[in-house]
Amino acid sequence: MVVPPFLNDLEQSGLSVWLRESPSVFGFYFILLFHTIGLALVVGPNVAIDLRLLGFAPEIPLPPLKSWFNLMWLGLAINVVSGIFLVLAYPSKAFTNPDFYLKLTLVGFAIWNLRRMKTRVFDDATLNDTGMLIKGRTLAIWSLVLWAGVITAGRLLAYTCNYLVYGVPC
Amino acid sequence: MDFPHLHMLLNHFPIIGTIFGVGLFILSLIVKAGDVRRASLIVFVAMALLTIPAFMTGVGAHEKMAQDASIPNTLILRHEGAAELAIWFMEITGILSMIALWQSARGAQPPTRTTAAILAFALITTGLMARTGNTGGEIRHVEVRIAPEGTAIEAMLARFEPSPSKFTRLMIASKWWWAFMMDLHFIGLVLLIGTIGMLNLRVLGFVKQIPIGTLNQLVPWGLAGIGINAVTGMLAFIGMPTFYSHDIAFVLKIIAILLAATAMGLFYLTDAFRTCEALGSGQDAPLRAKLIAGTSLVLWFAVIVLGRYIQPLQDSIPR
Repeated sequence: MVVPPFLNDLEQSGLSVWLRESPSVFGFYFILLFHTIGLALVVGPNVAIDLRLLGFAPEIPLPPLKSWFNLMWLGLAINVVSGIFLVLAYPSKAFTNPDFYLKLTLVGFAIWNLRRMKTRVFDDATLNDTGMLIKGRTLAIWSLVLWAGVITAGRLLAYTCNYLVYGVPC
Repeated sequence: MDFPHLHMLLNHFPIIGTIFGVGLFILSLIVKAGDVRRASLIVFVAMALLTIPAFMTGVGAHEKMAQDASIPNTLILRHEGAAELAIWFMEITGILSMIALWQSARGAQPPTRTTAAILAFALITTGLMARTGNTGGEIRHVEVRIAPEGTAIEAMLARFEPSPSKFTRLMIASKWWWAFMMDLHFIGLVLLIGTIGMLNLRVLGFVKQIPIGTLNQLVPWGLAGIGINAVTGMLAFIGMPTFYSHDIAFVLKIIAILLAATAMGLFYLTDAFRTCEALGSGQDAPLRAKLIAGTSLVLWFAVIVLGRYIQPLQDSIPR
């Protein structure tokens, strides 16, 4: 595999080197920690909403769950930022790993699905509870499947790689 | 205070506590006292929790013992094998007890099959814990050592006990198995934060239109997440025991988990939950409930933080 040289330039930048090599507790693992907290904030509430839309905990009123989306957008923002930093730390490793592209694709679909759940189920004031459940069911199943896929693909990034850094095969 | 001390401090609880819990449980069946039964179930859950650090401190105790050439290693391994069988029965007893506590939350009787299963698992656990304690005692107490497998029952039990080194090798043989366990560990985390975390946030005042009692219906999913993580976490520990036991982040994580479980016990077993459950849409929870919920939330996030720092803090506790 030919690894594009710009990944090497990126990897030699001060920030990338610091993220990768700093022994500080605020280095790589700090970013990784935020990525995990962001995950908990996006996927945690979303799974709870999915379960509600699938008929569990039927007494939870559906309309107020709309406010939980703000927490999920916050989690998503944390993960976009922390994710960029994680890629900056190991750009060659990320961009040479097929699993990385799989994960990004799944993340894209999961966010698209989440947006649809927000607009079609929670933003539609004409829907009553039954209507929300009917419209939400398929989206909820996809949400569970996609997030499970995102987590699995993300976890696998720790166990798969072709290059650790530029020119250094794993 | 080091691992042998902590091990001695903790290892009597699973044995004596389980016997105590079984006694209370049987008493509650005879006198038909719901309160006594709930007390026995709480004892089982507490013992299932305390068994975790009792088991884990054993690794450090083993390392210390191994420095003494007069102690046969086979005795230590026999004790570890006994423990590695007993803990699973203890944890199943604890999980079943948690289910029964949940089912009997409003004074209802748990189903007969739950009661029967708890009695069966608790009795087996008592036997296996006695065996674990006995084999543990014989490591040091030369005067009580008899034949390698003293009685017919012990010889029979020994056949079911795993070889500690084989169990460890099995866990780390395939990186895909390891990745699978870690994947489940993250899914458990999401279930926990999504349900129990959101309940705690609601008690603190986030999106008050949702009544606390209704959110509580999702908590069994969070408990299932905790269960998934307890099992995958313990299997990972068995896979790399000395890696984890010499890691300050890991030790603190276990302490945080025990504290978070205590906070949860405080929430459900005091009137904090009952007052919250009675609240409707838009109503504010009492300060005491907020304090417990806030503590709980901080502790669960501390568990995530500490878990994340296990890897960079390896060997932070001297060998």
